[in-house]
Amino acid sequence: MRRAAAVGFALTAVLLAGCSPGSSDDGGGGGGAPNKLVFVTFTDGPDKATTEALVKQFERDNGVTVELQFLPFSELEQQLQGRLASNNVPDVIRTQNLQPFRDDLLDLKSAGQDVANQYLDEAQKAIKNKDGAAVALPSDLTMNGPMVNKDAFAKAGIPLPPVDKPWTWDELITNAKAAQKAVGSPFAIAYDKSGHRLSSMLNQYGTDFYGADGKVALDQGKATAALGKFVELTQQNAISKDFWIESGTKYKGANDIFISGDAPLYISGNWQVGQFDKAIKFNWAAIPNPCAARCGGYPGGKFMAAFKRSANPPLAAKLVAFMNSRAAQEKFAIEAQFLPTRKDLIAEGVKYAVRPADMAVFLADVKRTDPASYASNYNPGFSPTATELVKQLARSIAGQQSIGDTVNAVRTAAQKNLDAAGK
Amino acid sequence: MTVAPAPAGRDRRTPDGRRSRRSSTPWNQRLAPYLLVLPNMAIFGVFILYPAVNGFNISRFDSTNARTFTPVGTQNYERLFSDAEFFDAARATAIFVFAFVVLSTVLSIALALLLTQPIKGRTFFRAAFFLPVLLSPVVVGLIWSWILERQSGALNSLLGGIGLPEPGWLVDGPLALGVTIFVGTWMHVGFYTLIMMAGLQAIDQSYYEAARMDGATSWQQFRHITLPLLRPTMFVVIILSMIAGFQAFDFIYTLTGGGPLGATTLMVQYIYEHAFRTPIQYGLAAAGSVILFVTIFGLTVLNFLYGRRKESV
Repeated sequence: MRRAAAVGFALTAVLLAGCSPGSSDDGGGGGGAPNKLVFVTFTDGPDKATTEALVKQFERDNGVTVELQFLPFSELEQQLQGRLASNNVPDVIRTQNLQPFRDDLLDLKSAGQDVANQYLDEAQKAIKNKDGAAVALPSDLTMNGPMVNKDAFAKAGIPLPPVDKPWTWDELITNAKAAQKAVGSPFAIAYDKSGHRLSSMLNQYGTDFYGADGKVALDQGKATAALGKFVELTQQNAISKDFWIESGTKYKGANDIFISGDAPLYISGNWQVGQFDKAIKFNWAAIPNPCAARCGGYPGGKFMAAFKRSANPPLAAKLVAFMNSRAAQEKFAIEAQFLPTRKDLIAEGVKYAVRPADMAVFLADVKRTDPASYASNYNPGFSPTATELVKQLARSIAGQQSIGDTVNAVRTAAQKNLDAAGK
Repeated sequence: MTVAPAPAGRDRRTPDGRRSRRSSTPWNQRLAPYLLVLPNMAIFGVFILYPAVNGFNISRFDSTNARTFTPVGTQNYERLFSDAEFFDAARATAIFVFAFVVLSTVLSIALALLLTQPIKGRTFFRAAFFLPVLLSPVVVGLIWSWILERQSGALNSLLGGIGLPEPGWLVDGPLALGVTIFVGTWMHVGFYTLIMMAGLQAIDQSYYEAARMDGATSWQQFRHITLPLLRPTMFVVIILSMIAGFQAFDFIYTLTGGGPLGATTLMVQYIYEHAFRTPIQYGLAAAGSVILFVTIFGLTVLNFLYGRRKESV
């Protein structure tokens, strides 16, 4: 019996090992019934009610059902990969990173929605597949930028910079430290632990991971100057060192540091405005991005797309177009402080109901932002390179490697990620 | 002398001529035990055996999306063995497992000896030591991270209050690894103590009575009666704590997140991060899983063989 069991086990193992893993990509998937769509998205908070209201309107207008699924942002890619592998494909998604799914996405034009040219020119390359077909729409634009605790700066007697006269990086640091001293907070600056947010600083110092030609463009000298300044701030504990070396801190995110009043200045982006309006008890405001070699912030954003394997591709494409129509984007902008990606809305401007002055600061920075930064941000190698930047910089902060070695490692990763994306 | 071969067919006999028990048992009775274990074996097959074998299979491919798999032979293993982070994780795992097993075994014996004595409040202490076993590992990690936080954690506030230095418990690499060993032991030792107590209570008291009559000291009784007779129980605790040590992940993830700078990133977290964090590398993660499986399996077999040899001696 033991021998038979052993033989059975061995046979099973051999049979299983002989198979190619994974499942077929053919057929299956989609929401199932042709009049039902599954829409997988995530929320930053304030946009949730707007998404739900718009989806309800789409259901009413088209006599269909849309199952709205909100996933945690950090789990989105992993969950979508799993669902694609198990033929449980949603019809429509909203995501920050199109790259892992680009070959699975529906050509919107062929599904009856030839609308891509209504959106930002800078995003056109990012929403296309290898054949040049638009497979997504940029659903919102984000802009990195600083926010300040007005009470802390007032106590230090420091006036905030006007929208059209940004501080330099050195002025920002000096003033943040003065405000820190005035209120006795543990830190001067809270900085999101994010390669994307660090890209603001790199760009302001005159360099990016990738250039407009799509090739690696990180300049050794400029990147060393930017990251060296950052590391210096952590050594002075003006920026929390513990937070950046990823252990032994009570803060789950840099926004915790700012909200709790532990730093008078926070570098993040416009998506915080809606949350801060409700969560922060002190007086706060957005200020323009600091300048070094360049001014302006750094763009980012999310995309909406439909999968080829949708049971009803025209309906899925219609939902994507509807959620990014002029009326829908205006509603998102007004209710959730999104920056629009539609050319018509950008040209006409949006009248924000909540904190319009702060949104005006971000919009002013959009105009100052270096156009090359869009090319870098939308490059398929950007996301993993940004992750690597955080990892490598933490080593410099801990004194384990020089800034030069960090820049070299990031350059190497940028090339490797670019090569991997091109496969 | 030659032994005639057993006759073919159902009428099998033992060498001394008796009919074998197997052939005399009706088929439905012979089948019954297998049917009873079938549900468990089916679950084992689907959720343990199949993923384990398939994990080995996936380790021979490169995949970033779990849908397209490119055969790469042994490249994933070569990449692992040329990755400094993998060796860092392996070294941290070895230190963690060794310290965790030693501490868990020694402390659980000590606690079991104490808690089987007729001391006041014995039931309370038994419950107190077992309580951490009932807590969610995620909660354990979070609570200890609040206690040990450098700038405003409870422990450093206390130390600072009495004029002592305030160490960076979770910020200094070796210290952080020490803390994870301590928290892991704190969390599991109650369970191992329970097993040791059962082992101690199974030892016949007459051995101790005889030893006392012969004038044996407490240490001599422990050294020559308790330890040898507790060996099978210690063997179970060593195996269980070793497996728990290799699998440690959840409480470390919430306690340190694997930091600072990977100092507390053990093998399981290394595998998790390559499987589920950008850039996703399923093949590499599967290769790491295979290595971890082989390591645990090999050490368990060695332990088992050593235990059997000791028992036979």
